[in-house]
Amino acid sequence: MRQLIGTLLIGLTLGSIYSLMALALVLVWRSTRVVNFAQAGQAIVTTYIAYEIVTRTGVFWLAVLFAVVAGALLGAGVEYFLMRTLFRHVDEGPVAALAPVIATLGLLGVIKSIVGMIWGNDFRSFYPPVSTDNFVLFGESIPFSRFNVLVILSTTVVMIIFSFIFQRTDLGLSLRAAAFQPEIARLAGIRVGPIRTIGWVFAGVAGAIAGVLITPNDVLSPASLDVLLVFGFVAAVIGGLESLPGAVLGGVVLGIGVSFVLNYVGTTLIFPTVFVVLLLALIFKPNGLLGAKKVRSA
Amino acid sequence: MHKLSTKKAFVAYFLFGWLLLIVADRVDELRVYQGATIAVTTLAIASIILLTGYSGQVSLGQGAFLAVGAYAAALSQTFWQSPFWFTLLIAILVSAAFGFILAFAAGRMSGPYLAGTTLALAVGLPTLANQFSFLGGETGLVYDAGLPPERFGEEFTLYKWFFWIAAFVVLIAMFLLRNLLNSRFGRTWKALRANSTAASLCGVNVAQSKITAFTISAGVAGLAGALLGMVSIVAPSAFPLSLSFTIITGAILAGVTSLLGSMLGAVILVVIPEIADVIAHQLGDSEKITTNLPGFIVSVLLILTVLFSPNGPAEAMRKRKEQHAKH
Repeated sequence: MRQLIGTLLIGLTLGSIYSLMALALVLVWRSTRVVNFAQAGQAIVTTYIAYEIVTRTGVFWLAVLFAVVAGALLGAGVEYFLMRTLFRHVDEGPVAALAPVIATLGLLGVIKSIVGMIWGNDFRSFYPPVSTDNFVLFGESIPFSRFNVLVILSTTVVMIIFSFIFQRTDLGLSLRAAAFQPEIARLAGIRVGPIRTIGWVFAGVAGAIAGVLITPNDVLSPASLDVLLVFGFVAAVIGGLESLPGAVLGGVVLGIGVSFVLNYVGTTLIFPTVFVVLLLALIFKPNGLLGAKKVRSA
Repeated sequence: MHKLSTKKAFVAYFLFGWLLLIVADRVDELRVYQGATIAVTTLAIASIILLTGYSGQVSLGQGAFLAVGAYAAALSQTFWQSPFWFTLLIAILVSAAFGFILAFAAGRMSGPYLAGTTLALAVGLPTLANQFSFLGGETGLVYDAGLPPERFGEEFTLYKWFFWIAAFVVLIAMFLLRNLLNSRFGRTWKALRANSTAASLCGVNVAQSKITAFTISAGVAGLAGALLGMVSIVAPSAFPLSLSFTIITGAILAGVTSLLGSMLGAVILVVIPEIADVIAHQLGDSEKITTNLPGFIVSVLLILTVLFSPNGPAEAMRKRKEQHAKH
């Protein structure tokens, strides 16, 4: 029983971080129809920035703030300078249509190698603001720490803010409209271009927070967020790649699944499991857990 | 474009192979090793060209199929003591089977699903090697092509032998691929890439053709992987995520629609680390720069190519020529 609760709680922690990465991917997918593989690269830059600030000042929240701002700026920059240029060519040939996706991959490579040139490829530790020691309940330790509480709380806050923006503000309405029907949105007076950039900004923020939250339980290196990117993608696919609630749900489902494999089977099978989950989701639920009907309400 | 007949193409491939052997006899060990790498990379790029350039699907994790091929070949050598040519066959079959399963799940999906799934594979697959002891962990598996026959003489080095094998296998594979692409299959794929709706109206089974293309591409990549394993090592470090980046960069640089371009792409890819070495030396040989510069150059090239000539420089040049001809 104790192990079961511990497994669920760990799953929730992991899942909330996967959800953030999935949200980032879904936001970009909805606004630009590209799966942004460079999201992991953008997040690694912001995480290294946060790392520098934490090691210098020791103030975790200041580091998070800087990471968020950097993530927003990076997202906007990538969309404005790279994606807009690419999309001008999309109709010019069969392969050009794939160009944006391939460009995000190239960008991931560029960012990772620049980060490697600046900080080196060795592993670094990122110190958490609160303890990562397990709680002790009735004399028995459960695999759940203060830091895990912090992760769940902060992702919940971020999700609430995001859903408020998307459901209750004009900006959110424009974002949803531009994602759903760009042509009609344009006719309705929405400036689709800047709205797209804002979608990338939100994605950058979500990715930056995910990077800062997952790293204290892990190590930091230029390639350390690649796995998060993959898990985020799988979570987004489970959720249907279109829907924001779907991404969150997909992240939590995947997180709990990974945690069960971790605690009951061992680390050996984590990746095969995730991959099988991805294939099963593609075969049986290609429209995501929340189904095609929900896509419109997103 | 003017196409050679199969017979003439065969003669051309044969003469080219002969030329390679003569050249390989006259250059030093490092160049021979690079020649073998170029041959392997050419085949890996060809597997992408088959997939992206012909059937319009995108695989961002081709390195994973190379790894599957290499491990399958090495395992069959370790456990069954198979002869070398048979390990190559195993490499093709196993990775093609792997590709078939994947294509069955993701092949019918549109671009992003396939791109993401293959990327996931490339990130995750190398980690498996550390978790199952029969895969040999970080040190990997032993896989070799045996020593060169004694009648080639004492001076016939191991790398020259590798080069011979790689060049021979790759030339045969490329010749077969060329014929495949000029056959009904190739035409079907081209039709798919150009307009899948129109193709399906003409009676093409879209899903089936895409799965076939993906399976064959995976098989070719597996063969390239086994050869890469022979030239270097069969270990996770030989198949990092950056290998997949590199292959796709080569394919884009080669102009994803021409099989011949794949050799050009491979040459560029093998030259880049040399250039990077020179630049890193100028910058003072810091370890951070030396290890990251080749990846940086490859990725920048990839972005610049998709920005300025998304269908590859070769294609752009051809288009310009055609426009010239019209005026």
